[in-house]
Parts: sequence; structure tokens; C-alpha cells
Amino acid sequence: MSLQHSEVIRLDLPARHAYLHLLSDTIAEILRQTGTADEALVYNVQLAAHEVCTNIVSHAYRNRRDGEGRIVITLALHPQPLRLEIELQDTGESFDPELVPQPNLSEAQIHGYGLFLIRHLMDRVSYTTRPDGNHWHLVKRLA
Amino acid sequence: MEMKPRQAGNVAILAIEGRFDANTVPPVQHWLEQATATPGARVLVDLSETTFVDSTALATLVSAMKRCQQSKGEFALCGLRRPVLMIFELTRLDKAFNIFVDADHALAVLNA
Repeated sequence: MSLQHSEVIRLDLPARHAYLHLLSDTIAEILRQTGTADEALVYNVQLAAHEVCTNIVSHAYRNRRDGEGRIVITLALHPQPLRLEIELQDTGESFDPELVPQPNLSEAQIHGYGLFLIRHLMDRVSYTTRPDGNHWHLVKRLA
Repeated sequence: MEMKPRQAGNVAILAIEGRFDANTVPPVQHWLEQATATPGARVLVDLSETTFVDSTALATLVSAMKRCQQSKGEFALCGLRRPVLMIFELTRLDKAFNIFVDADHALAVLNA
């Protein structure tokens, strides 16, 4: 399929691990529309977005009761150049990604792979804190 | 996610079907803690039907492997699908784990 215009899907999920498979399913479906995404590419985007959400659930909303916070997600498939952009917003505690240490890849780590995976699986990743909450912006080129 | 534990000789095997992630880790972690508690335990996790592995699942597997190593046991993985294997390669965990193509190949080594 040749994409003529942007297609946008919005999800507004309770911040619980139990609902994150819905995001994975939505990513698979929107990428299926391009007809070009292979299994590994779909998986990589699913995993990066999932890791952002688990970060939000486990850290941004760590002082809230399970499911009390929300994650507002916008997935936008854009043509020219063909790309998927994912915005994820939370209203929990912010953090400075630059202060998160990189995992030591020379030995197996128990923690620290989440942010590493997000950065390495997407083409562009940014995190900003604004008055209305924290915003992650992920971009994956598809052509 | 569905867990399918079985025993093959001296090896305790856990097959994980579906998503292995922050939502489904707790019962797997509990099984692995029990399976790796015995000194010299031989444990195999079969990921051939595992469709998704996140960093929480990776942490669970690394913890189990380290417990096994500390108690002179053996810990192995088998059947990783290509996208999952690529994540192990990206994090270089493919160098840390014993990874076999399938359960038969793993058991031939672990039961030797």
C-alpha cells in the first residue's frame, strides 16, 4: 500500500503492565498498513515503545497506586519519508535520561537495559518535561 | 502467557508461550527461583513459543543464570526466535548465556 496521507491512532491507557500488549498490537497493525515492515522491525518498535511504558509505570508513577496514572499515546504513520512517530505522555515524576548510566555490555547486567534498548531500536528518541507532563518522542524510518 | 514445565533426565525445563514481559514475569521468576535453588541444578528455558521478551524478562533470566552459576549449576536457553535473538545480540547477552537452537540440542549437552 502506498500511503497518501498521515494516519493517526491515539491510545489512552491506565498505567498498568497488563494493558501494554494493546500498544504492541496497535503498532503491529499500523505497520502492517505499510506492507513493508518485516518481523524484526515491528518487534523492535514494539519493544522500544513497551520499554518507555514500563519506565513510566515503574518510575514516573512509582508513588501512585497501580493504574492510577495514565499513558496517552499517539502513533502517527507519515509518508514522505515513510516513518512512524510515537508520542507517549505521562503526568508522573520526570527524570533526566542523561543521568541514567549505560549498561556495561561486557558482562550480563540485571538492570539497565530498558533505556539502552529504546535508544538503539529507534532512529530518534527525545524526552522533554513540560507543564502538561513528560513527553517521549520516538521516530522510526520505514523507507 | 502460558508456562509449561517438564523434567527431562536431570534437566528442569520451562517452556514459555506468548509474552514474557513485566506483566507476566512474576510466575516465571517464582519457578526459576525454585528450580535454581538446588546446588548443581540444570535448568533450561525454552523460548521457542515466546513471542515477546522485554528488559524485565531479560533481568529475570540474568538473575536465574547468576544464581545457577553461584551454585555450580547449569542454565541454558533454547529456541529463540530471530527478533528475540537480535535483542540478545544487541545487549551482548548472547555471549553470557548458553543458547541452543532447540531443546533436543540443549538436552544432549545438559544431560551428558
